[in-house]
Amino acid sequence: MEFLSFLIKRALWSVLVLVGLSMVIFVIARVVPGDPARMALGPRATPEQVAMMQSELGLDRPIVEQYGLFIQGLTRGDLGKSLLTERPVTDDIRETFAATFELVLCTMLLAMGFGVPLGMIAAYWKDQWPDTAVRFFAIFAAVTPSFFLALLLQILAGYVLHLLPTTGRLPNSMEFEASWTGLLLIDSVIAGRLDVLGEALRHLLLPSIALAAATMGQMARLTRASMIDVSRQDYIEAARAFGIPEWLRVTKYMLRPSFVPPLTIMGLEFASLIGGAFVVEMVFAWPGMAAYGIRTILQKDLNAVMGVVMVSGVFFVLVNLAIDVLVGFVDPRVRIRGRR
Amino acid sequence: MTHQKLLASTAAVAFLALGSAGFAETVVTMNTVQIFGTIDPAKISDYTDYMAAVNLYDGLISVDSSGNLIPELAESWTVSADAKEVTFKIREDAKFTDGSPVEATDVIYSIERLLRINQGPATLFAEVLTPGSVVAVDAKTVKFTLAKTFAPFLATVPAIMILNADVVKPNEGTDDAQEWLATNVAGAGAYSLKSWDRGSEMTITRNPEYYKGFLEGPIDTVHWIITSDEATVKSLAASGELTMTSQFQSPETYKALVDMGRFQMVSQDTGTAFYLKLNTKVAPTDDIHIRRALAHATDYATIREVIFPGGVLSTPLPKAFAAYHNDDIPEPKFDMEAAKAEISQSKYAGAPIPITLGYVAGTGFEEEISLLMQSNLEQLGFVVTQAADPWNRITEIAGKVETTPAVNQIFFGPTYPSPDSMFFTQYHSKSAGTWASMEWVNDPEVDAMIDEARATGDVAEQAKIYKALQAKLHEMQPDVYLLTQTVQHAMDKCLTGFKAVPMQSFDYDFTRYQWTCK
Repeated sequence: MEFLSFLIKRALWSVLVLVGLSMVIFVIARVVPGDPARMALGPRATPEQVAMMQSELGLDRPIVEQYGLFIQGLTRGDLGKSLLTERPVTDDIRETFAATFELVLCTMLLAMGFGVPLGMIAAYWKDQWPDTAVRFFAIFAAVTPSFFLALLLQILAGYVLHLLPTTGRLPNSMEFEASWTGLLLIDSVIAGRLDVLGEALRHLLLPSIALAAATMGQMARLTRASMIDVSRQDYIEAARAFGIPEWLRVTKYMLRPSFVPPLTIMGLEFASLIGGAFVVEMVFAWPGMAAYGIRTILQKDLNAVMGVVMVSGVFFVLVNLAIDVLVGFVDPRVRIRGRR
Repeated sequence: MTHQKLLASTAAVAFLALGSAGFAETVVTMNTVQIFGTIDPAKISDYTDYMAAVNLYDGLISVDSSGNLIPELAESWTVSADAKEVTFKIREDAKFTDGSPVEATDVIYSIERLLRINQGPATLFAEVLTPGSVVAVDAKTVKFTLAKTFAPFLATVPAIMILNADVVKPNEGTDDAQEWLATNVAGAGAYSLKSWDRGSEMTITRNPEYYKGFLEGPIDTVHWIITSDEATVKSLAASGELTMTSQFQSPETYKALVDMGRFQMVSQDTGTAFYLKLNTKVAPTDDIHIRRALAHATDYATIREVIFPGGVLSTPLPKAFAAYHNDDIPEPKFDMEAAKAEISQSKYAGAPIPITLGYVAGTGFEEEISLLMQSNLEQLGFVVTQAADPWNRITEIAGKVETTPAVNQIFFGPTYPSPDSMFFTQYHSKSAGTWASMEWVNDPEVDAMIDEARATGDVAEQAKIYKALQAKLHEMQPDVYLLTQTVQHAMDKCLTGFKAVPMQSFDYDFTRYQWTCK
């Protein structure tokens, strides 16, 4: 019960954070130079046309009133119209969010699936050659910028070896509409289209690897350090003395308590990649929300910028809340602290 | 197997093979660096928007590579003696993609809607067309009555795409069908929209019933991939997916594609000019001698041949407008001694001269040009400040004289095939305060000449005015004429038909292209 009230408090704080975020972004978006109406209409637009669009966008009203209108719209789920695409921002985000979410989900699965076992290997064979190899790989992966890796993978797998597709989510010749969840991996299974599933996986591979490398390196290092710490605890020695099998000792008694730091990092990375995957999305022509966000910023498309930032913010807050719950599940001490 | 059976089966296989080859679909995949903002004919405004629009819709008339107006939905047109009335006769066989005939009422509906929405191409018709200006003479004849004589009017007509009124009206909703036409097409174009993912791609397919028909070896499907990334373009080309690059790739990418053997380079001069726009109202470029010194201190050959490929630009008007170009004005020359002589005559002579060189942040070639200018100007006693601003910021600072830098690197191209498109937007006082008019010319004589040309229907007379205007502007030197942009594409050797057109992106009307390989 106390843990529940702890979570409710966190949720309320999250709402406050989102309100603060909306205010800051609202002001920043309006302070950045460039008249959105003039930029949308081009140099040949007459002053009357510019004034008309400014009025349509509400830019001629006081900033407090503009903010009030924005919040009013937000409560109705209306983020206004995008100047870039001439469509409701919610439609644009609905279309692009699924692509980014699928990409980031695969990225996290790759990062977890390889990062944690690598960290375990390094911790188990501490100071031996597997440890050195993993540490070298982890540092290399963590410091390599994702855009560089994206280009490298593209040249290698696409240009030189012709192994994997380098753009988009599906081949142009393949007709399929992800109408249930927007996630091709799930919708193709629902529709029984294994050919689409296969192609979607092939298209996901390169951008996911490019995005996952840094997180994978971080996870491997954190898991290793955390497991080495835990391995020095008395209860691990006791477990060894009691003759508990090696695999059980490592996976249950060492890994589980060591899992909190990587899990926390995973949550933060998951949420930040939703808005931060733009470089990789642009390199692989991935129709995601992060790339859409960058285009709208360059065009000073105020409604769309606000929409993308708010969706990223909500996602960030939700994922962190979920991580709090998961951490409490993995580490009972967190639940106990929550009670206190 | 008997001899006859063998012959018969071989013939059948050969027939099937030939048949399937005959029906093989021709797909052109091209990368473009910007997303398609809209396909609504009342809102299209930029180069990329028009790339889709000219394939999805047809106008009354179009433009060829020489800038000549050519028939499209209209088979002929007549202009009244005072150039205030233009009457178009619509082709008898002109029909929309749904098979219904194109009629005068569709033209009227398209224009009235354009004027109501008042965005995109409507900017071309401000003060020229008003509601009720366009009337039907009969089902296939439509008459435009202009509010005033506007000689370049015909040149602006290709910007008007004609909508199928019967299809659009039921979808008008409360916003004049703006939401519906943002994702649907209701026109008479040669291609139909197949798919459009705003962030990544657009695919259009050929409408076999197109009223004008196609050339031999037509392009069945056009697929645009939105990416500016050089590695992506190379990968697409290497994997056989790419047929044609955008015009904005790096020389390395072009070379890599040509080295693959499948591609050839196609390059042509365009009507787009690249200027150093000099703010004539702030120091030190408010002094004509300083402006002339800057023109002499520009190393044109290095810029055109090493930094950014382009042709010679000797007046504000590119040579693409051959009939209106003033050939008497000499080509600008790099001459540091002449620059020194000009500075000595200026009011800033005898002391270090502070000057700001503005360019678009993040564009490598503009930075190189700016650094080249700095090195030349410092030898002449200038104290240079580099001002790299993002495009958003440039559109903002261009709004006021005092915030506009002394020197600005700007590209400007015609949006309709008339010199008016180049002069009015850049030099007329009514256009002041935009990135296209950072010179702040504001000269009554220049305004009068532009207005006079607009009011003159006779082409020879008009040419005389434009030539005099170029001489006048050359004398005032509000710009340094860097180059005319050369458009370049790496294209599959089987694809032909690219010709630069001096209007938006009409060069990508794919009915003009052919696939020549079998």
